[in-house]
Amino acid sequence: MPYSRNRDYFGFVARMVPGTTTILFALLSLLPFHVPSFGSIAPGFALMAVFHWSVYRPDLLPLSVVFFAGLLLDLLNGTPYVGLSALVLLLVRTGVVTQRRVFSHRPFSILWLGFFGAAVGAFALEWAFVSLMQVHAMVPRPFIFQTLITTACFPIGSYLLALAHRAMPALSA
Amino acid sequence: MRVSAPVRATVQRLTLPFLIFISALLAVLGKADVLLFDRVRVVLADTLAPVLQVAGEPIVTASKAIGTVKDIASVYRQNEELKLENQRLLQWQEVARRLESENEELRNLVKFAPQGAMSSVAAQVIADSGGAFLRNVLVNVGRDEGVTRGQPALTGDGLVGRVIELGDRTARILLLTDINSHIPVVVEGTHERAMLNGDNSDQPQLVYFQPKTPVKPGDRIVTSGSGGVFPPDLPIGVVVSANGMIRVEPYADLARLEMVRIVNYGLDGVLPDSAIPEPLSIGRSRSRATSAR
Repeated sequence: MPYSRNRDYFGFVARMVPGTTTILFALLSLLPFHVPSFGSIAPGFALMAVFHWSVYRPDLLPLSVVFFAGLLLDLLNGTPYVGLSALVLLLVRTGVVTQRRVFSHRPFSILWLGFFGAAVGAFALEWAFVSLMQVHAMVPRPFIFQTLITTACFPIGSYLLALAHRAMPALSA
Repeated sequence: MRVSAPVRATVQRLTLPFLIFISALLAVLGKADVLLFDRVRVVLADTLAPVLQVAGEPIVTASKAIGTVKDIASVYRQNEELKLENQRLLQWQEVARRLESENEELRNLVKFAPQGAMSSVAAQVIADSGGAFLRNVLVNVGRDEGVTRGQPALTGDGLVGRVIELGDRTARILLLTDINSHIPVVVEGTHERAMLNGDNSDQPQLVYFQPKTPVKPGDRIVTSGSGGVFPPDLPIGVVVSANGMIRVEPYADLARLEMVRIVNYGLDGVLPDSAIPEPLSIGRSRSRATSAR
């Protein structure tokens, strides 16, 4: 894998940053945001973290951590389909890693557009899975809304993750 | 442990298909065997409750600040509205007092035995499912505070949902908008029975047993009490018509729940915890833990 060449100049703590932020972002999406007109649907923060690290440092975000973050999210949000988020996040990571050359050294707008694509895929998959399991096509509105709000909040998430990313060399000193 | 390069390469190549297979399997099987996950979930929620509560503080503070700014902007209009409402409520108070004394006289007359006392506990929402296909919240009270499964959760405005999952310090409340929520209701005034079924939208659907019953927008919907989970006459919402379906706008603001009241009406319409068999593996490890202590 081409990205594994430059992997060893970070210390232990710095190498934990991608995994830790991914799990923290998963927890973040569970917090009750009571912001007016925000609605009951929270942005998929875990998706942002998985996307970000899959583009920039996939070597530091092992599949097991992605799986664990998805599982944690499912166990805490009370879904009957424990494992669905894990599945979606694993597929997003796989898809993004194969396309990461498209995003590296490009303007943020390209990254944002790529994230929109990933979000559409992720939430469409969730919609299809839940509809299949309920044997009834789910109302698509909440899924569309979640795709849009997650994409709209991506710059905030991306900014926070970039801060963590920049702090990594300092953490390994 | 040292592993030879080809073995390592094989393991690495197989990790992704393996994890994808496991998560898909869990997601499909989970629906069939929810029990195992329920135990894990409850323990996890209990453990992480303090973390979620602390992490949620700044968000609560921020949203309160935004709320304050909004309130200041509308303070004059609100004051006018409140004055009017106060006038109306004072009249109602008069009526209520009269009814209360009349009620008491009548009760004395027929030697009426009052129903079991109800008690309630206030609960703070510490996590919100936030998903597109889930409508539930996690609150910071549980078995320790005397909450049991099936108890209704209310705000000052009306019914919110019921307790479906219970830990020692946390409880999960299924909101009445969730696709798995089905509540027996009556239309106030006509006493027509119906079911209120959630479909993950903001306004649950009203489904009638007799489809020709006239119902019009503005009708109040309250719990019927059949099934024994909810007591009768808890306010739920008003009928609004949307897309040809009869839908109900809940009185409680379900999108922005901060505090709810979990009320014990002394009903036992849902299966008690003891009626649910514990999965063997976890039951065993737990009893071992107790004996070690």
